[in-house]
Amino acid sequence: MPLQSKDSTRNSRRAFLKSLAGSAALSTVAFIPDAQARLTHVPHSTETLKDYEEHWGFCDMCYWRCGLKVRSRDGKAFKIDGNPEHPLNRGVVCGKGNAGIQVAFAENRLKQPLERVGARGENKWRPMPWDEALDKVAQELTKVKDKYGSQALVMIGHGTWEKPYHRLAHAFGTPNTTSPVFGLCCGPRGVGSMLVTGRELSGNETIDLENCKYFLMMGRNVTESLHNGETLGWIDGVANGAKVVYVDPRYTITASKAHEWLAIRPLTDHAFLLAMIHVVIKERLYDQAFVAEYVSGLDELAARVEKYTPAWQESITSIPAEAVTRIAREMAKAAPSVMVYSPRRLTRSTNDLGTSMSMAILNALFGVWDRKGGIFKPQTITIPEIDLPPFPHAHVNRAEQHGDFDFSTTSFALDAEGKVQRADGAGVMGRWPLANAQYGLTNQMWLAMANQQPYPLKALLTAGGNGFHNSTNYDTIRQALMNMDFYVAADVIPNEMNSYADILLPEASYLERYDDLQIGGAREGFVALREAAMKPLHNTKGSWEICKELSKRLGLEAYFPHDTIEALLDDRLKKAGYSLAELKEKGIIKKSADDKANFPREFGLKSEFPTPSGKIELIPSTLKNLGADHALDWQEQARPTQQNQFHFTFGRIGFHTHARTQDNLWLHDFLSENVLWIHPEAAKALGIAHEDWVEVKDQKGRGGKIKAKVTPRIRPDTVFTVHGFGHWDERMNLAKDKGLSDSLLASDTIEQYIGTISMGTSIVTVSKA
Amino acid sequence: MVAKYVMLADTTRCINCKACEVACRAEWDTPMGFTRDWVKEVEYVNAKGLPEVQLFPGRCQHCDDPPCVEACPSGASWKREDGIVLVDHETCSGCELCVPACPYEARWLNPVTNTISKCTFCQPRIDKGLEPACVQTCVGHALIFGDANDPNSVVSQLLKEKEWQRLVTDEVNIGPNHYYFTDGKAIPQEVMPKRNEHYLAGTVIEKVLNPVAKLGLGGMVAVFALAGVKKLVDRRKQVGIQEGNHEQH
Repeated sequence: MPLQSKDSTRNSRRAFLKSLAGSAALSTVAFIPDAQARLTHVPHSTETLKDYEEHWGFCDMCYWRCGLKVRSRDGKAFKIDGNPEHPLNRGVVCGKGNAGIQVAFAENRLKQPLERVGARGENKWRPMPWDEALDKVAQELTKVKDKYGSQALVMIGHGTWEKPYHRLAHAFGTPNTTSPVFGLCCGPRGVGSMLVTGRELSGNETIDLENCKYFLMMGRNVTESLHNGETLGWIDGVANGAKVVYVDPRYTITASKAHEWLAIRPLTDHAFLLAMIHVVIKERLYDQAFVAEYVSGLDELAARVEKYTPAWQESITSIPAEAVTRIAREMAKAAPSVMVYSPRRLTRSTNDLGTSMSMAILNALFGVWDRKGGIFKPQTITIPEIDLPPFPHAHVNRAEQHGDFDFSTTSFALDAEGKVQRADGAGVMGRWPLANAQYGLTNQMWLAMANQQPYPLKALLTAGGNGFHNSTNYDTIRQALMNMDFYVAADVIPNEMNSYADILLPEASYLERYDDLQIGGAREGFVALREAAMKPLHNTKGSWEICKELSKRLGLEAYFPHDTIEALLDDRLKKAGYSLAELKEKGIIKKSADDKANFPREFGLKSEFPTPSGKIELIPSTLKNLGADHALDWQEQARPTQQNQFHFTFGRIGFHTHARTQDNLWLHDFLSENVLWIHPEAAKALGIAHEDWVEVKDQKGRGGKIKAKVTPRIRPDTVFTVHGFGHWDERMNLAKDKGLSDSLLASDTIEQYIGTISMGTSIVTVSKA
Repeated sequence: MVAKYVMLADTTRCINCKACEVACRAEWDTPMGFTRDWVKEVEYVNAKGLPEVQLFPGRCQHCDDPPCVEACPSGASWKREDGIVLVDHETCSGCELCVPACPYEARWLNPVTNTISKCTFCQPRIDKGLEPACVQTCVGHALIFGDANDPNSVVSQLLKEKEWQRLVTDEVNIGPNHYYFTDGKAIPQEVMPKRNEHYLAGTVIEKVLNPVAKLGLGGMVAVFALAGVKKLVDRRKQVGIQEGNHEQH
């Protein structure tokens, strides 16, 4: 396209202006506009960029953890850039990441230790000195230990800085530490993959996105539930010609990038996937050489999916039978550069395990493992832990190699050594043996605290997080919190959960502190640094320092042997032959990508699948042994039966994270309250117009009012809202009373095989308010 | 050869994550309620009856023939040789005559400095060899910035490789240097520039005010009196624009 095209009108106007400028009388009248004259003759002052310092970091705004370069001026951080060397974001930072500045500078952040002086949740506080607060925490924890035993302490973490609190709790002697990532979010996804293949995608989606040729997105809204490196890789893949089929009840921004949108009925992905498997086996569309060498159980699977025809699934999913057959054939043609792409959070139906296994099975049948455009084998850098005394419970050595999402260790918290088992039942035979014992089942832990079963749980330590909004039953959370003899919360920002604390410890924000190393595996292996980009703005401390101080008071200092966190980092790095000084050069140390290591089967090398049999198990032996292999079979899910009833769905938007950015000044500005998406036909039938107030209620009568967004971007039998709104804590001065909480409406039923939560089974009624 | 800076927006790669907007706010300390750049999300039903969404990142279009420069009575608004339209904050009186002159609604009065603020293509950054803040942070690599006069630049290559559109209409065609790739989709009307109804158009200034100004000081008084009234009208309008940009999705 020509750059200089100018139409005749403009030329004539310019000529007119020039003629004016040329007249002698004009030159004395300074304000008369003339662009040409000003361009060349009038000197103007221009701005120059002021100096700044740069500090390395990794992001804390979501759990992907992009590499950062934080710019500071006059001792204050003012701009967050991406670290171009970091494989998880390649130099880009999203809106949330950029808004991290407002976490540090928020007026209402927690600025000094506080002691509760009113009722729990009443927000009446007394400021107290650090020493007094830490003494009190140590005394109260000891009291609970003396009375009930150390297992009566529960620790729940939800942040990139939770690690020292896990260590402190483990040293204290409790097995009951948990992070919501498993039970409330990704658990089923990892378990399904582990059972079938013995491998999983780690937390960082080890998919060769740029070279993939066919994405079947099973509700994976990769552009709005975004992780920079993953999103950018996916966009590159699409730009490189990948076909995208997007399966979701809602037309998201990801749908707008897809070639095809399949508006599937909520909770029925499993039926669609089973029919896909049916076609792939029936028409022998699978990678036959791969299956012959690496896969067991094909015949048994063929028999089991015989009845799951494309026509059968149509009545369940509402996706035309033709589409299933066509997509299966198209994918087989593009295989192995294809991906049946799991949603990140797979806590939706009562059989998320079946859904997850079906995706793992399809990817296995297409032979995607260790191939270009499929799933790659990540490079890793091994950084040993510091030397520590043994912990009272064997399972608590958290995986360090794949960030916070490594579900590969299935060590069960068995009672063989006479040790107390986890209260949430994660990894416990006879309860939830498939659940990961390192991360635990946060949903079951809240229930255990609320019901005081299977044994008394009397003290709680939380590091970030907000149980009211990340779980889906306020009554359970409130009961659990009220049952505590002592609750200490550490956080940067105020929220409803920490308003129940007895002692509130203010954390330094991630821009004001060091943290332990970030160790991850992508095409490149890496270890990355978070250093302080400025001194703490308030009377706050980092989690390591807080835990170190508590360890002294609890006689557990051997678990925090270093004088400073910098010394800890240097110690760890030196064990691997590096040093903190070396890491500070670029904020990251990497092991380069290597095609042979990443894609061994492209080079005639073998894949490895560490299942019990060493093969991909289409019918997992572990499940058979547990008598739970019927998880593979389709199971009926909830459905609305009346015109005013809908599937209730919720999800993310690109510029808010979970329930913790609604109060961020810069993000609140984009979306201050959520709305309810409803299809025009459904809205019409109920007399609801765009932007009308509507009342939404679940089957228990819980709910509230919210504005309607009438849009064709959703199925007529489904409503949707953005997660994380409806805060009531008076300290959240921007977010309070804005929008409706989806946590109030989503279900808290239980996934029957893993014990994770099922948030998608809620059927709500909608009426004009 | 002198540079000619252009911004390309590949809308197929934009995801409306607001990284550009927040990066700009942080970089230039923009007061709340105002922004130098934006992403417009347009949803509609296509000819097949299916929903569609298009995303348009926007900012000052650094036009070849900028009416804002023409409208500026103090000479503070100017266009640099490399095409960047700038405001000299030492000269700007904050009269806001330029605000309605811009059909892209890219200018506003900064209540802190009391001068006009707008996108500068991050002139202080590019003068140091850095990318504009919005480009550097763009998650989808949807924004691409560079010198269209350099045949080896990425933007020159991309301009050749793909069919780009600009936000121009029969009514408003002032040579914007911001290009959009939509993969063949038509650009929805609501994204297109509109001549501001309150705008004392360049033609008015040329045909009415300039001759008046020739008469001397009386003309100057008239111009500033009009500017004062306009300021009130446009301030109200500005609030409307801001609210419109923050619609819910």
